[in-house]
Amino acid sequence: MKNLIQNSILFLLIVGLGGCDQKPAIEPSGKTIKVGIIAPFSGSDHAKGKEGLKGMQTAMHLQPYLQNGDRIELVAENDEDDPALTVKLLKKLVEKEKVSAIMTFSSSGPVLAMAKVADEYKTPIFAALATHPDTTKHNGFISQLCFDDDFQGTVAALFVRDDLLIDKVAVFSNPDSFYSSHLAAKFAGKFKSIGGEITDTISLTEETGDLSKVIKSVHDNAPELLYLPISAKDLIRIISEVRKLGWKPKMMGSDGLISTMLAQGKEEIDLVDGMLATDFFAHGMPLTPFGKRVADTYREKYKGTGTIYAALAAEGYSILLNAMNRCSDPADRECINRQIRSTINFTGLVGNITIGPNGKAQRPLCINSIHDGRSQFIFKVH
Amino acid sequence: MTESVSSALFVYTDDTKHLIKPLQNNSSGTRITPVAFDALMQKPQAQLEGVDHVVVAGPLDVIKAVLRLAIKYQFSIGIIPTKKQKHLIKFYDLPKNPSAAVELALRQNGQAIDLILCNEEIMLFKAAIGHIPFLDTPAQAGWIQVLLNALRKFVGFRLYTFKFSTAGKKEIDTAASGCMILQHSRGSFASRLISHDHSFTDGMVSLLISAPISIIEYLKLLGQALRFSKKYKKLPNSIGYIKSPQIDIEPETRLDVIIDDQHATHTPLHCEVIAKAVHVNVGKNLQVESSSANASKEKIDINNLPREKELLKARNQKRIPFFSYASEERFHDLFPALRKDARLNNIYLVLMVLSTMLATVGLYLNSASVIIGAMLLAPLMAPIVSLSMGILRGNLKLFKNSIGKIVLGILIALLSSALITRLFPYKPITDEMLARINPTLLDLAVAIISGIAAAYSKSFKEIIQSLAGVAIAVALVPPLAVAGIGIGRMDFNFFYQAFLLFSTNLVGIIISATFTFRILGYAAAVRRKASLVVVFIFLALISIPLYLSFSRIVEDRVFEQSLRQERFLVNEKYLIIIKASIFWRGDKRIILMDILAREPMTREDLNTFKKKIQANFSKKLIIRLKTFYIP
Repeated sequence: MKNLIQNSILFLLIVGLGGCDQKPAIEPSGKTIKVGIIAPFSGSDHAKGKEGLKGMQTAMHLQPYLQNGDRIELVAENDEDDPALTVKLLKKLVEKEKVSAIMTFSSSGPVLAMAKVADEYKTPIFAALATHPDTTKHNGFISQLCFDDDFQGTVAALFVRDDLLIDKVAVFSNPDSFYSSHLAAKFAGKFKSIGGEITDTISLTEETGDLSKVIKSVHDNAPELLYLPISAKDLIRIISEVRKLGWKPKMMGSDGLISTMLAQGKEEIDLVDGMLATDFFAHGMPLTPFGKRVADTYREKYKGTGTIYAALAAEGYSILLNAMNRCSDPADRECINRQIRSTINFTGLVGNITIGPNGKAQRPLCINSIHDGRSQFIFKVH
Repeated sequence: MTESVSSALFVYTDDTKHLIKPLQNNSSGTRITPVAFDALMQKPQAQLEGVDHVVVAGPLDVIKAVLRLAIKYQFSIGIIPTKKQKHLIKFYDLPKNPSAAVELALRQNGQAIDLILCNEEIMLFKAAIGHIPFLDTPAQAGWIQVLLNALRKFVGFRLYTFKFSTAGKKEIDTAASGCMILQHSRGSFASRLISHDHSFTDGMVSLLISAPISIIEYLKLLGQALRFSKKYKKLPNSIGYIKSPQIDIEPETRLDVIIDDQHATHTPLHCEVIAKAVHVNVGKNLQVESSSANASKEKIDINNLPREKELLKARNQKRIPFFSYASEERFHDLFPALRKDARLNNIYLVLMVLSTMLATVGLYLNSASVIIGAMLLAPLMAPIVSLSMGILRGNLKLFKNSIGKIVLGILIALLSSALITRLFPYKPITDEMLARINPTLLDLAVAIISGIAAAYSKSFKEIIQSLAGVAIAVALVPPLAVAGIGIGRMDFNFFYQAFLLFSTNLVGIIISATFTFRILGYAAAVRRKASLVVVFIFLALISIPLYLSFSRIVEDRVFEQSLRQERFLVNEKYLIIIKASIFWRGDKRIILMDILAREPMTREDLNTFKKKIQANFSKKLIIRLKTFYIP
């Protein structure tokens, strides 16, 4: 009887192992394909660059080779989020480094500067964080990995109006930022179009006078929610003034809020507790198998849980590789560009991503609530 | 006014030497002759010549030695306890105040008390043999020591076979984890479990025998001991009690004997009482208790101790199991009733037909109250409970009879319901029916809880069993009737969905009832392994399709829940999912959604929405929408 059991187990093991569908290991070809990275590695937005690079390296650790055995080499350049420098670095990477594709973690301003010259270089540029809708307009080589601000502003307005049932909102923006001003305008436009009332539209500039008076005036118009797609520094100032008044309106921020706060205002993170925000991911969201592997590898390599920048970078690298793998010559820039723009239902970290021929990404947007320095998931909008 | 002795010998040790002066300055004028304990033991006869009263202060072994001398030289004793001797103070009701203790120790006419000798060792409070966790805790132990001591004893918690012999020549063979000899009912946690008629003037040795059949049973016993106020008229389960002037204890293996918290001797143990052996000055309360104590006869109460098959099992057991087992003798009322419940009879068949017919009509009427009426009639509880017991005890006959009764009942129910459906000219599918072909996890919860209730109510006569019967019917009758309707409609999928719910619930009830009986201690003392294997194979076979369908149910419910956290932007229209329910028609997965929208949905919007759902979730989903508009 004992022998029978032992033999049965052995048999099952043999059958089980024999039945395993193991992928054959990729044989290195000895060739290298360069991928450029343009990102701010210094200055106030340095976290975007540093975390983005970590995310790329995490994904690279999982997939170091293309299917034909070519190895990927990353060439990173620091643009300090300066549009003029970004354009210079683009030229350097394309002409000197001969990169086949570029990932950028710069914000909308520098990417819009690249958009003007992208067609000259005929090199695919994959923008991970630039959400401005114009980044993909008037050029055929910049694609977005993120959703754009038209989508983000529209969804935020609809969520506030239809889910939160809020009638009156005050909107703040930084007019110097393409991102902030466009998002605020999109939100306000949509909110008004569906019957909402914008009580105040505040542009925060150096000339903005006594902020406490401004907030007092906003308070007098009794908005139920403050929409704040603004910089971390301004956000902290506004919330501090709101708290001083003993006022507790609902507040909503935009993508990257928690990551920016962690990078630029960690000591004041408590101020954003309870805020709502639109974003790409949320803490504790169910991950896809690919997402789990990325999270585990990141944790192993960097001993932390990672940021949204790192997560987007890992997704971007994988989509890029996927596009290269579909080209007969994986270094062919135009082919890579075409393949990026025909990505359909690519399984990202938390859901599917589709990138259309216009370079725009269709991916879910998360509506989160911030608690204890973390984004807690409320809704996902497809 | 109580009189004091005119003279007394004071026996002291180094620790109690300081009491000489207070004693000599006593208010009653008693003449005190101090003598050190060592000096007394060297020449006891010389020291005790003409002494009628001795006052002793010192450790327990000194007091015991003086008591032994008292038997021989016939003097009375007064005890002055130290502050640390809390157990002694409680046991003899001695004053804590030193001057009051001196005053009591010098009184004359002390209480004549019995002395118990175990293998010639004097036992003042208690003696413990074997494993009786918590009850045999040393009197002076702190909480941590008590817990550690108990845990250590639980590790080797097993039943030993014991032979007890009394003065009346009674011999008792049983199994026990351990036993305790108790002097009287004061100051002992264990004595709360036995009758309070034992005292140190009854001329008897009181023996408590602990024979828990499971750890659960033992924990229950400790719970009973904790309830101070209750005095038990009958002994708790797993406790035996013997009271006799002389008891011999002989376990299968040599065990240590702890007398008054000191390791003193080992088994075999011979304990005898020397009635009214010495006169000791005890507190007022103890004098009252002793005077009210009845003169005792030998008493043997061993009904709760293992006998016959249980004793056989105990001999083979390496450890006391966590859950209980029991012989049929122990539950002699229950088993004939279960056997009767498992037998097929006309009443069962008629009630089964009527209840299903009523449920079918109620389902067509979409009337919850008519369906409830059907549940009141349903006679399903009795055979299910019998089946559970049959499984638990490996009783193949009980199992066969009850399963036969259940299967026949099911067939009749399906037939009745199908027949009514065939006869009905109009066959609508009502909400009550739909609810039974798309079960939720809560349906299974109803089944499991009602199974527990059924087994529990069957175990206690005082509970009205029909209530649990209705609970079972909630889970079984409507899906069974719907399955019959499926047959009548010739719709196999309809039948399959409802019958699957019925089967899941039936198995859920049987398993939960079996488990409840197990916890309540109805497992067989000696199991028939072959029949148990057959039963478990049967259950495993049923469980495979149930598990597969169950995991699909779980997956669907999780998906439904997650959809409520999804929003869709379709051609600039924001869609909020309020409710989502998944139905299966054959292999087609249909999702019914209630959505909130601000603007009218066009055909193009619906197509885009469908594509988004299919792209993000499953291509095989068939979508049905109900739209509510936000004004």
